[in-house]
Amino acid sequence: MSEHHHDHDHEKTVKPMVDEITEFEVLEIALRELCIEKGIFTAEQHRIYTEFAEQIGPTPGAKLVAKAWLDPEFKKLALTDPIEACLQVGVDWLNPTGSGTISDFHALQILEDSPTVHHVIVCCLCSCYPRPLLGNSPEWYRSPNYRRRIVRWPRPVLAEFGLEIPDNVEVRIEDSNQKHRFMVMPIRPEGTEGWSEDQLAEIVTRDCMIGVALPKPGVTTNVKTKTIPAIRPVGS
Amino acid sequence: MTTASHREQKLALISRLKASYPELPEWTSGDMISSDRFWAYMKCPQDQGGQLSAAEPFLEKEEEQWELMTYILCEVLGWGGIWVSEERRRIADVEIGLSVYFGLPYYFRWLWAATKTLVEKEYISWGELTDRLVEVQDRYAGGLNGQLPKAQPKFEGDGSNVKRNRWVADSLGKGDPGMYSGQAGPAKYNVGDRVKVRDLPALLYTRTPEYVRGAEGVISRVSYESPAPEDEAWGREGDRPEWFYIVRFKQVDLWDSYHGPESDSLQTEITERWLQASA
Repeated sequence: MSEHHHDHDHEKTVKPMVDEITEFEVLEIALRELCIEKGIFTAEQHRIYTEFAEQIGPTPGAKLVAKAWLDPEFKKLALTDPIEACLQVGVDWLNPTGSGTISDFHALQILEDSPTVHHVIVCCLCSCYPRPLLGNSPEWYRSPNYRRRIVRWPRPVLAEFGLEIPDNVEVRIEDSNQKHRFMVMPIRPEGTEGWSEDQLAEIVTRDCMIGVALPKPGVTTNVKTKTIPAIRPVGS
Repeated sequence: MTTASHREQKLALISRLKASYPELPEWTSGDMISSDRFWAYMKCPQDQGGQLSAAEPFLEKEEEQWELMTYILCEVLGWGGIWVSEERRRIADVEIGLSVYFGLPYYFRWLWAATKTLVEKEYISWGELTDRLVEVQDRYAGGLNGQLPKAQPKFEGDGSNVKRNRWVADSLGKGDPGMYSGQAGPAKYNVGDRVKVRDLPALLYTRTPEYVRGAEGVISRVSYESPAPEDEAWGREGDRPEWFYIVRFKQVDLWDSYHGPESDSLQTEITERWLQASA
């Protein structure tokens, strides 16, 4: 990719690929520099948004579910005015710009599971996800593998996540294709009587709030743990 | 400059990149193209729902620094009033074409969309972009030596004359789509109404998936008022908002060979223009 002025066999003398800057990095840096120089956005705006992006994660979502399990009035609020309910778990959907994030909008619905309905969320067209409440989406959520199959073969896909829903429970797929963002409120499981909000939140994993897992006492991690490594990960 | 040998290698590589039906030649005439094939080629690459796929493992991924920076770049461009997110989706998820959609990483498409928009809207010229790419390449020509590459803007520009959309000011304190409340007039449908999704000849861009076209469902929720994604995708301003609805379908009505229980359902959000009343 660089302008070498020699004619020898490139393959033998190229630096190990991991140390060479990628086209992706070059382009992102070039654009950021040009945008700041032209006043398209400020370094301060970039810093504010970076801070926001670095702190989002599934903790507020888990807290919201745990609170709803413990407090029927809060559960009612979460289902009827979810944006307002989010304020109580420290999430203001107008942050960090005052207009909200750019890609997550300001229209949330919390899908309450019942003994007769289990919800699963997907965005078939891209990867729309309630970032302010759950952080960034997992890689598999963005993949054609998930997006193609969950809408058409939901039960086999759920089985690949280790989740088998009985036939007498309706599996309802929510294809999040417009400005609404969604989160699943699963049913509080047996064996959690007397638990604190923190204890309950610990078992409400990100996967439970997408709908590919059910909360279980003792299970505090997501289902799929195999991770594609990065060449130069965030903050490295 | 690359060598003659490297140029030939690159040409050999590009000639293996196929993005068409193998049974058709690479230069077609109209008589070879049935209506179904026409719409197959015109299908928005982003519209993946229901397409055939073998089971693959579901993986997590460690985020690259450039990927985080790309996400922030795109969002901050929106904050700066350069685009709304639907413009990004049109470029990154549709206009990019099927080959690159599948072939290059997810976040590269975000980056490409930002690049294309900045050049198309004349915020930066191709020359400015290319000169800066060369400069950044040269800066790191000796290798990264274990460091992250850094952005080094030469100065902070005065942004007061930069052309910005109305979205930023109009949404402040209100959020989107709440900012459009009251602008669509009365909603045509109510919860419980049976509706059918129109099978429109949708060129260029839409967010109504093909897997629901022509299907009948029930209004599950009257959502909000907003300009249609087919308008926002081009950064249009001043279009009349329309009502959006969550429509619930039975899976056995969507898929000819659905294997699950008859009670299984799917909901998705559809704009009023895409719906018609059903008996």
